[in-house]
Amino acid sequence: MCSVLVIGDMHVPFRSSGLPAQFKKLLTPGKIQHVLCTGNLCTKEMYEFLKSIANDVHIVRGDFDENLNYPDQKVVNVGQFKVGLCHGHQVIPWGDPESLALLQRQLDVDVLVFGHTHKFDAFELGNKFFLNPGSATGAFNPLNPDIIPSFVVMDIQSSTVVSYVYRLVDDEVKIEKIQYTKK
Amino acid sequence: MTQMEDQEKQLEFALASVQKQGVHMKMCLDKNKLMEALKHASAMLAELRTSLLSPKSYYELFMKVTNELCYLDFYLVEEFERGRKVDDLYQIIQYAGNIVPRLYLLITVGLVYIKTNTNLKRDLLKDLVEMCRGVQHPLRGLFLRHYLLQCSKNVLPDIPDNEETEHPEGTVRDSIDFILMNFAEMNKLWVRMQHQGHSREKERREKEREELKILVGTNLVRLSHLDSITLDKYRKVVLPGILEQIVSCRDAIAQEYLMECIIQVFPDEFHLYTLNVFLKSCCELQPSVNVKTIVILMINRLTIFTFHNSNASEVKLFEVLTEQIANIIQSRDLPLEDTVSLQAAMVGLALKCYPDNLDYVDKSLQTISDTFAKRKIEKISHKNPVSRELMALMKLPIDNYNDLLLVMKLKHFPEIIEYFDYTGRKTIAIYLLQNAVQCRTMIPSVEQTEIVLTMVSPLVKDQPDQPVGEEDPEDFAEEQSLLGRFVHHMKADEPDLQFKILMAEREHFSLGGNKRICYTLPPLVFQAYQLALIYSGKRKEDELWEKKCRKIFQFCHQTILELTKAELAELPLRLFLQGALTISQINFKNYETVAYEFYSQAFTLYEEEISESKCQLAAIILLIGTFEKINCFDEENAEPVRTQCALAASKLLKKPDQCRAVAISSHLFWSAQNNVGQPLQDGKRVMDCLKKCVRITKQCMEVSVQVQLFVELLNYYVYFYERGNNNVSVDILNQLIGQIKKEITGLTANEETEQITKHFENTIAYLQNRIESADTEDSVFKALEGLTL
Repeated sequence: MCSVLVIGDMHVPFRSSGLPAQFKKLLTPGKIQHVLCTGNLCTKEMYEFLKSIANDVHIVRGDFDENLNYPDQKVVNVGQFKVGLCHGHQVIPWGDPESLALLQRQLDVDVLVFGHTHKFDAFELGNKFFLNPGSATGAFNPLNPDIIPSFVVMDIQSSTVVSYVYRLVDDEVKIEKIQYTKK
Repeated sequence: MTQMEDQEKQLEFALASVQKQGVHMKMCLDKNKLMEALKHASAMLAELRTSLLSPKSYYELFMKVTNELCYLDFYLVEEFERGRKVDDLYQIIQYAGNIVPRLYLLITVGLVYIKTNTNLKRDLLKDLVEMCRGVQHPLRGLFLRHYLLQCSKNVLPDIPDNEETEHPEGTVRDSIDFILMNFAEMNKLWVRMQHQGHSREKERREKEREELKILVGTNLVRLSHLDSITLDKYRKVVLPGILEQIVSCRDAIAQEYLMECIIQVFPDEFHLYTLNVFLKSCCELQPSVNVKTIVILMINRLTIFTFHNSNASEVKLFEVLTEQIANIIQSRDLPLEDTVSLQAAMVGLALKCYPDNLDYVDKSLQTISDTFAKRKIEKISHKNPVSRELMALMKLPIDNYNDLLLVMKLKHFPEIIEYFDYTGRKTIAIYLLQNAVQCRTMIPSVEQTEIVLTMVSPLVKDQPDQPVGEEDPEDFAEEQSLLGRFVHHMKADEPDLQFKILMAEREHFSLGGNKRICYTLPPLVFQAYQLALIYSGKRKEDELWEKKCRKIFQFCHQTILELTKAELAELPLRLFLQGALTISQINFKNYETVAYEFYSQAFTLYEEEISESKCQLAAIILLIGTFEKINCFDEENAEPVRTQCALAASKLLKKPDQCRAVAISSHLFWSAQNNVGQPLQDGKRVMDCLKKCVRITKQCMEVSVQVQLFVELLNYYVYFYERGNNNVSVDILNQLIGQIKKEITGLTANEETEQITKHFENTIAYLQNRIESADTEDSVFKALEGLTL
């Protein structure tokens, strides 16, 4: 089995002062093999934090990232899965499943990870899995007044992805499980 | 022979002789020939008369000899218990030839005597400790007295002295006198070592003294083990006796060691009640004694003691220490860094034992401030040891309170910061902010905001004493990010107050210059956007909410313009767009005008300031994506913007960029909503966009790029077809599919082609899936059966 941390839209320092302490406690080295980050970190320290969790870190560029070295899109192979990664502000309308499906077909991936809306989202479309980890810091977003800080850990084993969604509700971490199997 | 080899040789000879005499002694004892045995014992002890051995070797020899003497001791005890007369023996030994062996034997026999006849204890002990004066050679004398101390360990009287009752065996008072005398004599011998021999051997001598100090200190340990020494006795007899010797010996090494020894061996409770006497003596020590270390050791001990013993509070510890430290500073010429570290220890005490009493910490800070003023100190270089000590002190309240608001209550804290140089002040600023961010401390008022931003001023703006030259850009970015993060901590619950805080912050941050404002102003803008949403939520409670929202957006507008003046383009563009989105969510009076202003500012930046083609593409996509979500404009405002976006998209430099951007702009005519919340769904305009894309694609020179774009466009057509845009017909889809099929076979096989093929296959598979799963009544997908896939 392989554990993949899916995280993004931290927006430090512009919209948030940092990750919630409860998340920091959970995000420690040794449990995670790969990190997929949807972007908008936005600082180097945040990058170094991700790097401290696992050595294999993949980042795409968010609309507020100044780092030009991050690509717009990326495809990462994890086990039997091809996982596409894109911040999502380039996919219009933002967060629209069918528009995201266009990108999924283009990247030819089983799982498409995206962000930008700061709202956790997970759905299947045409037996493909779409996942938005939300904002790990609960960063402000004008279109979404009630933001809950969240991230996801995907456990990948043969043709199944079990996603654990970590959400900080009233200062308490709530965990939810979602399963996706590739046909 | 080297000196070392010589030493080894000497020791070897001496040990061999001791061994030999020891064996003889034991043999004689076994045969009950006591007088013979004593002769051998004496010969064995004579080895301790040597002056050739170093303290270390002498110690080894001493151990060997005293070990052998044990046998004699056992023998004697047994004999005397059987009834042999001791006094004879005591007399006989008096006549032993040489003083060193004689005294060792006297001690041995004397102690046996005491054990068998306790009534003689008091007199004999006194006798022995007096007689030891006979050996005045430091090394020999020290060990002889050490032997005395060792032998008497278990016989020292430990009975409280009571004036009414007679104790022929002696009382604790006799023990105290005995040890104090032995201590005084040993110390004198130890100090005298310093003045023997040539002055060039000073260093070696000091090393040797260091090796022997524990012999002197053992006297104090022995005293501390006497249970009958009460606080009263300690205060009246023991401590004055010890201190008198320490002060009068006028030897820095002895004073430093023994003062520390007192602190270590006696109970903290005694220290607490004798603090004045102890610290007064500190004033009288030799100038080269490190009094600071002694006092700090004492403070730290009492800090822990007081922390664990609530009843210790009856002593006004902080006040007593403050007064005595002031005396010490006055009477001695302490280096400035030492006075600072003394205060640091005081701050440590105050924080640990009196956490609620901020005045104590403040008092120490004030003392430092006064000292600096008196010594006419203006700035302290970070390379100066004073700066290091002071920094350690400043970190104490920060680390202990873990609450910036409490640190700010220390009145003298800010003025001490001012004594540091630029590097020092910046270090403190970073330390303060890191603590606040980590502890999630919130700054809830304008006054406190002002104080904090002044305290961290080296991060906020350039400093007059800032060294010229480039700072490390990575460090700078990290520091500024920290300040940016802290913006989210200056927050009041009450919205009007929060706005005042934001305005106060901007006053400070605006002075930061171009290199700083790109870190500090954006968080401010985002906080302001959030505040506007809060007012929006209070529209029923606050009748002025619309005016206030307007004011906030004015504030944001100005703030973002400051960034454009710093020749930034992309950052203010994004901020304006986020603003437009926020405004569109809040339906306040004339909000569409304000939103339009924000959006048009962003658009202007796009047109005028962004020239790099990659950045242009990113920016126009953001402009389009944002506009798709803004639904507050009436048609009069919205229509020109949509057209502008599509036009700007078509004007990008590279053809593929043009094509993709125009395709994206098609969403503006479909899902984007008008100001009554209806999606536009202008099928014709969508078609116009997509047709334009096809035209642009055909202009691309590279076939692979063309095919790739066609596949992407096919997906767009399918997307809008599915959404019910009647203008997309099966014919058009067939045309595109045909075109792609024709071109795709001609592509040279490579990774890129493979991706394009895969994309196309995925699209076809998707369509097939749609057709197969289509409901008979789902006419839209039924119609797709006409596709030639």
